[in-house]
This record gives sequence, C-alpha cells and structure tokens, in this order.
Amino acid sequence: MNVNEAINRLKAIQPTTNACVTIIEDDVKTHEGVLSDVPIALKDNVITKGILTTGGSKLLSNYIPPYNATIVDKLKQAGGVIVAKTSLDELGMGGTGTASFNGPVRNPFDLTRQAGGSSSGSAVVVAAGAVDIAIGSDTGDSVRKPASYVGVVGTKPTYGRISRYGIIPYASSLDHVGYFTRDVRLAALMCDVLSGQDKMDHTSLPYPSTTIAPSLQDNVKGKVYGVFKEVLEAIDHPQTLKHFDAVCRALESKGAIIKTISMNETLLRTCLPTYYIIANCEATANHSNLTGVNFGLTQEGADVETIMTNTRTHGFGPLIRKRFVIGSYGLKDENQDKLFRKAQKVRRLIVEEFNRMLNECDGLIAPATTSIAPLLEGANMNVLSNAHLIAENYMVLSNFSGAPSITVPIMPVDGLPHGINLTCKIEDESTMFQLALAIETCVKEGL
Amino acid sequence: MTLPSSTLINMNKDMILSLADELNFSLSESEVVNIVNEFHSLQELLALLETIDTEGVSEMVYPFESPLLTLRDDEVTHELPQSEALSNAYKAKEGYVSVPKVVK
Amino acid sequence: MKRDVVIGIEIHCELKTNSKMFSASRNSINDTPNIHVNEIDLGHPGVLPTLNKRAVELTLRACMLTQCEIDSLIKFDRKNYYYSDLPKGFQITQQFHPIGKNGVIEIEVDQQKKQVRLDRIHMEEDTAKQYHLEDETYIDYNRAGVPLIEIVSKPDMSSAKEAKEYVSTLRNMLIFADVTDGKMEEGSLRCDINISLKEAGSVQFGTKVEIKNLNSLNNIEKAIEAEILRQNQLLDAGEKVLMQTRRYDETLKTTVAMRSKESAVDYRYFPEPNLRPIQLEQAWIDSIQASLPKTPQQWLEHLIELGATVIEANILINNKSLLDFFIEASKEVKDVRLALNWTITEVTSLVNIMQEKLFEMVSSHHFALFLNCISDKVISGKQAKDVLKWMSESGKDAQTLVNEHGLVMVSDDLALLNWIDEAIKENPQSILDFKQGKDRAVGF
Repeated sequence: MNVNEAINRLKAIQPTTNACVTIIEDDVKTHEGVLSDVPIALKDNVITKGILTTGGSKLLSNYIPPYNATIVDKLKQAGGVIVAKTSLDELGMGGTGTASFNGPVRNPFDLTRQAGGSSSGSAVVVAAGAVDIAIGSDTGDSVRKPASYVGVVGTKPTYGRISRYGIIPYASSLDHVGYFTRDVRLAALMCDVLSGQDKMDHTSLPYPSTTIAPSLQDNVKGKVYGVFKEVLEAIDHPQTLKHFDAVCRALESKGAIIKTISMNETLLRTCLPTYYIIANCEATANHSNLTGVNFGLTQEGADVETIMTNTRTHGFGPLIRKRFVIGSYGLKDENQDKLFRKAQKVRRLIVEEFNRMLNECDGLIAPATTSIAPLLEGANMNVLSNAHLIAENYMVLSNFSGAPSITVPIMPVDGLPHGINLTCKIEDESTMFQLALAIETCVKEGL
Repeated sequence: MTLPSSTLINMNKDMILSLADELNFSLSESEVVNIVNEFHSLQELLALLETIDTEGVSEMVYPFESPLLTLRDDEVTHELPQSEALSNAYKAKEGYVSVPKVVK
Repeated sequence: MKRDVVIGIEIHCELKTNSKMFSASRNSINDTPNIHVNEIDLGHPGVLPTLNKRAVELTLRACMLTQCEIDSLIKFDRKNYYYSDLPKGFQITQQFHPIGKNGVIEIEVDQQKKQVRLDRIHMEEDTAKQYHLEDETYIDYNRAGVPLIEIVSKPDMSSAKEAKEYVSTLRNMLIFADVTDGKMEEGSLRCDINISLKEAGSVQFGTKVEIKNLNSLNNIEKAIEAEILRQNQLLDAGEKVLMQTRRYDETLKTTVAMRSKESAVDYRYFPEPNLRPIQLEQAWIDSIQASLPKTPQQWLEHLIELGATVIEANILINNKSLLDFFIEASKEVKDVRLALNWTITEVTSLVNIMQEKLFEMVSSHHFALFLNCISDKVISGKQAKDVLKWMSESGKDAQTLVNEHGLVMVSDDLALLNWIDEAIKENPQSILDFKQGKDRAVGF
C-alpha cells in the first residue's frame, strides 16, 4: 500500500462510510524508518500542527493546532505519512460512531450498521483496506469494540505506554492511545514505534520504547488462557459461543492450557455505572477549556460570558451537553461522596479483583462483543441485563486497571466480522502479542 | 429495583438549568426533558454502585498509584511565536487576545 | 462596645523560576504580550502538565523558613471555574494535600514579639493578566501558568500594625531566600485580608469581610484601619456586617464593596488525574534545608560582624539588591568599612534616583574596583563622587573614566614623578619648604 493508493481508496470509501473528517494529500515523508512511506490515518482527536483537528466537535471545526501530539512526531520520525484524520463520536464520548458533528460513520461490511466507536473512522479505514495503520484512542473500549465490529486488530497497550500528550482527552485516568492494524505482527511493531517515556506526559511509563516485534513468535505451549466465565455466561448468541469455543480448542491443540476464571458478579455489574460516573465527571472538567476565547468556533456575544455560552451551546451536540450536566452533577461538592468518590472507590475494588484474575493466567479471553455490530439507529437492550452490563461492557476493566488489551478478529458471526478480546498483565505487552498471534494463527489455519 | 434514599436523585428542570448555567451553555426545552429522564434511568445503575460496601476503601484516582520521582528541570525549552499563539484566538489586537469587556 | 479585631491573611506569591509551573515557557511577566506562552499555558486541547522542579525547591524553602510540616508526597487538584483569565477552565492547585502545613513566623510590633501561625502553604499556577479598556478587555497569557505559592495564615492578628508587620516580615524572608522578588506594586506578591470584629473576649466570630488587591504595605495598614472603623460604626449603629469582598479606595480612604459572597462558589475540587503523586526524595529535601540562603536575621548578624552598625545593617536588609551588591563588592575590597560608608550614603542616594537600574549600570565588581581606587588614593573622595556618578551613567569602570576625564593617576609611580616634577617647576619654593620640614608644603 503506498500513499497515493491510500488516498484514492480513502476518497472512494468516503461517500459510503463517512470515515474521514479530513483526507490529507500533501503530507510527505520527512524521515527514513521502519514506517518509511507507510500511509497512516489518525483519529481526529490526535493533534496535528497546521492540520484541522476537530475532535469530532463542531466547536473545534475550525481548529488548526499550533503543535503536534507526541505520537505524530514519533510516526513522522519512523517515516510515516499522515493521510487522514478520521471520524469519531464527538470528543470521543460515545460508542456508536453516530455522534460526530460530521455525520454517522457506517460499517463497510453493512452500511446499515455502526462501525462502533468512538474510534469509528480509524477502524473503518483499516477494515476497508485504505491504510494498514490507524491511530485511535480507547477510554472504555473505543478501539477494541470497533475492531470487533469491522474485523481488524485493535490494540490498547498499558496505560502510559504511549504518550497522551496532544490527544484531545475524554477522561484522563481512563484514556489510552490505541491503534488498528490488519494483523498482530504489525500491532506489535506499532507498540515498539509509539511507546517510550514522554517528558510531556507525566503519566507516561518510565521506560524506553518496547522491542517486541523482532522476536515475536506464536508458541503458546504451556501458556494459560483464562476464559472469562461471567462474560461467556452473559452471551446467548450460539454462533458467538461456538466460534469462541473453536478458538479455545485450537489453542489447546497448540499446547495452550484453557482455564475458566471467574469474577465476583456483583462487582462486575458495577463496571458500567462506575465508568459512567468517572468518565463523565473527568470529561466535564477536561472540556472546560472549550470556550471560544483562545480557539474554536466562536459565537458572538455582547460580553465574554455570553460568547462562552453561545460558543458552547452552538458547538456541542446534545449528547455531550447531557453528559456534561451529569458529570457536573457528580462533581458537585455535596454529591462527590455518593457519586464521583464512590465510583473511584468501587474502581479500586474492581481493579483488585481483575488483577487477581490476571494473576491466575497468562491472558484473559472472551468474545469482544455479544454479536455483530448494531444497526445505525442503535441496539435495544435491557440496561440491567447481564448481556448489557457484563458482556457488552466488560472491556472497560482494562481501562480501570491500565492493563494491555487487544481484540483479534476471528470467524464471522451472521456473516459479519467478530473478534476475541485478550487482556494481559500490566506492562506485559510481550505476552499479549504472543498470545494474540497464536489466536490469529489458529484462525488463519482454519482452526 | 428499589433505591436506598441516599442515592435517589430528585432531579427537576430547574436543577438541570442551573447545572447548564454553571457549565456555560443553554439547553432547549426538549433537551431538559431528555436529561431529566436520563437521571431517572441512571438511578437504576447507581443503585448497583450503592450495593458495594466501600467502607475503608480509598479512592482510585490513577490506574497506577506508586509515586513517581520525576520533576521537570526549570529550563525554557518550549514557547510559541506570538503569531501562532494568537492564530486561533477569537480576536487578536496589538499582541493581545481581545474580548468584549469582562464585567466581573 | 469594645470589640476584638480578628485578621487572617492569604498571600499569593510568584516564584522566581525560569519557566512556568507546569510548562516550559518563560516565567517573564513584564514583556511583550503573549510571547512567553505555549499551548499548555493557552489551555489548548490535548495538553498535559509537568511539574517544575525549581518551583518545588523554592516552595520547600518557604516551608522551611516558616517551620511548616512538609508533605513530601506531592499531589495536585483541580479547581474548576469559568473565567476569561483561566484558559483551561480549571486551575491546578493543592487543595487536599498542601505541601506545607502548620507553620509559624515571629513578628515584632512595638517591641512585642508575637507568633503568627500559618495554616498552609500550597503550590498553584497564576492566571492570565487582563487589561480592561473602554469597552474591551485585553488578555496577556504571559502570566498564565506562572508558579505561585499561596500562604494562608491562621486568624492570629489583631491590628493593622500586626498585619502589616506580618506581611513585611514574611515578604522579606521570601525575598532573601530568593523565593520571590516580592514586588507588591507589580503584583508578584498579593495580599487578601480577612477581617472580622467580635465582642471582646467572645469565642463567637463576627462576619468575615475580605479585602482584595492590596498593593503596598502602607495600604494594608490603611485599609485595615479603615475597615475596622467601618465595621465598628456599622455595629455601633446596630447594623449587620455583610459577607463581602471589598477593595481599598485610596482617594476615598475607605474600603468599597466589589461583590457579595452570599453563596459560596462550588469549585468542584478533585484530584488532578494528569499528575501522578510525586515522592520527593528526603536527601534532596535535606540538601535544600542545608543550603538555605541566610534569613534577614542571619544577615543582620553577619553585617554586624563585618563592622556595620545596626542602623546600617537594617538599611541593607531592607533592600535585597543593595545588600547583594554590597556583599559581592565587599569580597573584593581592601576596606570593608569604606565599602559600607559608600554603600549607605552615595549608592543609596543613587538607588533612590535610579532604582534597580543602578545595579545594571554599576556591577558590584566595578564598585569594588572603584573603592580600591579610593583606598589606594588614586582618586580623592571628592573626585570619587563624580566618578561614581559617571559610572552610573555610562556603565564604564572607574579606571576608564579616570583616563577619559584626565584625572591624575597618582598611584602610577611614573605619573606621580612627572606630576611632582611639574609641580616643583611651578612651585620651586614648595620643595624647599618641604626639605626644611614644613609639613604644609605637601598640601600646597
């Protein structure tokens, strides 16, 4: 895939998928490296100097940043060429790809369906074969879920492994940089390219870049795959379960050990409310800078307060305003004890339980989603069912704990893509890519 | 599911509007209704949180909590040219960002 | 009715660092607007903070000087509010875990020593500077993100004099430790005074009024006196004191209301997720303690050892730049007493005219060389006054100016001999008088 082919392909799929906010035709290679002349797409919450960066929000629909995200510099230094800024749910807040200021993103395999979100466009451009690499961000499952819906590899390394400097935030304590690739080997290489301590991000891990790709192999003899019991129990789609089981049997035939691992169900059912409170509270504060004074699509007003109010009223979609109201409520001094701080305490209990599970295996696996991508108008699920609370939302566990997590596509369900999610111990991306590669190999070998 | 009274959020339109006012945006009538409804359905989810005993548990603010030792050396290494600093501003005049007079 | 005055003071003090609290742009406020900024100071999307090591060091000095307990595990929080001078929409501060707690400083008023307790010292960042014009406001972000410490006293003061002395003593301590330049008129040290009256001896506090934006020590005293008077008059008339923020009006010589504080603002404080807790190493803290600059009191003792009188020492201590100038020069001079005389008299009067500019024109090294010219009798005391004045105007050293102005270099042996020859030619009688032992001849 060269840059011109990528640009042509991006243009070709744009009318049907709406995957891009901006297609960039004039970026050139500035360095030689492992990604020389490789076309790369960036989720449009990755800050690019001199190139429109909207965060999927009308409020930023005129924002030309004066600086680069750390990862943009890293990609350029490796020889990469930026060819697109991709669509996302406004400010990364949404899991559908339908809440962007520039319209919904469609699943290339079925245009009546979602591609998932919020890194919707990045998932689509890799799935549609326009680029081999697209950057996303993952606060709840925003890389790993769309990856399953469009059949690509979606990776989220350990929290802090990749610098967040220059990524428009959603919720700082949950935000991870992630990416989409078509295979696991390239995913491992991208971890090597993008990782490394960044002095601009105080939360970045204090280690140099990883060097996983050169020695990556798929030997999993004696490795223990933990099967997430409660997630499997919450799924009632027979084909999903059948495919998952087939992968487990194939891994066993390669010498891996399959072991069922269980989590406290009451605690597991609190993942979604815990996430909802923490994410919205942090997001409310994170986006207080969007006022139209220093940047953004300013709306006129007689005084500065009116300018801010008009800018924010006009600039945010209704979903964002709703979430900010809820977040702001949770942050009120009088409410913090029962909402924000309560959620942070439950987060600790969840993480302790989750880390215990990860210590009982080399990697924890489960179907990434209950079944295929929902229709654009959305899925109708009982909010208190285990299918919703557990099977559709358990991947947020690794955002709570910071553990590395990856979705690998397996066999289609109902004729549409579907994937397995694998999570490993904190900082152990090396094992994660090894176990993921074995899954990929099993699928390629036809199990 | 019944809710412990401590969690019950008795949300009305005025409270929503006052929250929106603090957040510096306005809401349409239908948005307010929508948010009131959201708060009501949220109750069921929040009830799940309430079932967890967090007595003696401290808040988890960061995924990794071991303290770091890193501080930034006090060196000037990164400034934007004035033109770039002001390039996105609402209005720039004589090197300043200009806004209608701040009343407060 | 007799009432007690209760005063507590919050001081915001800008730290003397090269770069900002959470970003690597220059800490320089009085410059072309918006040139010492980057995307972090401007609150652009995607930015993250990193903590300035020197700012922590200077804060630790402030804590040590005020005997605060130090929390070596540094944590920050967000204070959320919307205002045009706060580009992120929140200020990063230390609400829940201040670096310093429970300090104390000693002040002296009317020969009475008194301890004022400090509640806390914490680090935070300054806001942008706004200039309000006719119908628009100009914003300069050079000040946005400048390192600040907030020093909060307990309500331990009970008079305007005590309050003034507290600020003065603390300010001097911080200036001497190089923590801040302490310029109140420029806003690098700002005071908010909380003041209330209560029935004498009562444990029940009265309604608190906050006086903001006091820009000099004298105004602190005047504002408090005026406010005590105002509150007493209100209470005498049976009226209520309202909870308010007020400012001091120099023309009206009284405080005027800025806004009422009926309902407390909800800042929705919560821990800053982008700065992980930072553990300061004890060895580093110890090394800062061990190398603390001299306090004003220690300087007083040192200056007296050097031969200064108490009055002279106090003059020097009240001007840190002058003191530094003198101390540097005194290391090179042959006669420290001479250096003291010149510093206290001539240099001080030049400082009154030129302020800090003098120290840019005359380096302490040049001053020392100049003094040595006097010691070596190269120039007379009368000539020296002119030479120092020329130095302050030109930035040149004494030697150069002596040459330029054709002053006689009596210390040069050859020049001295020539000069004597000339003198003798013109006054042959003198040499005879000299040989005859008439002392008078030496002075012609």
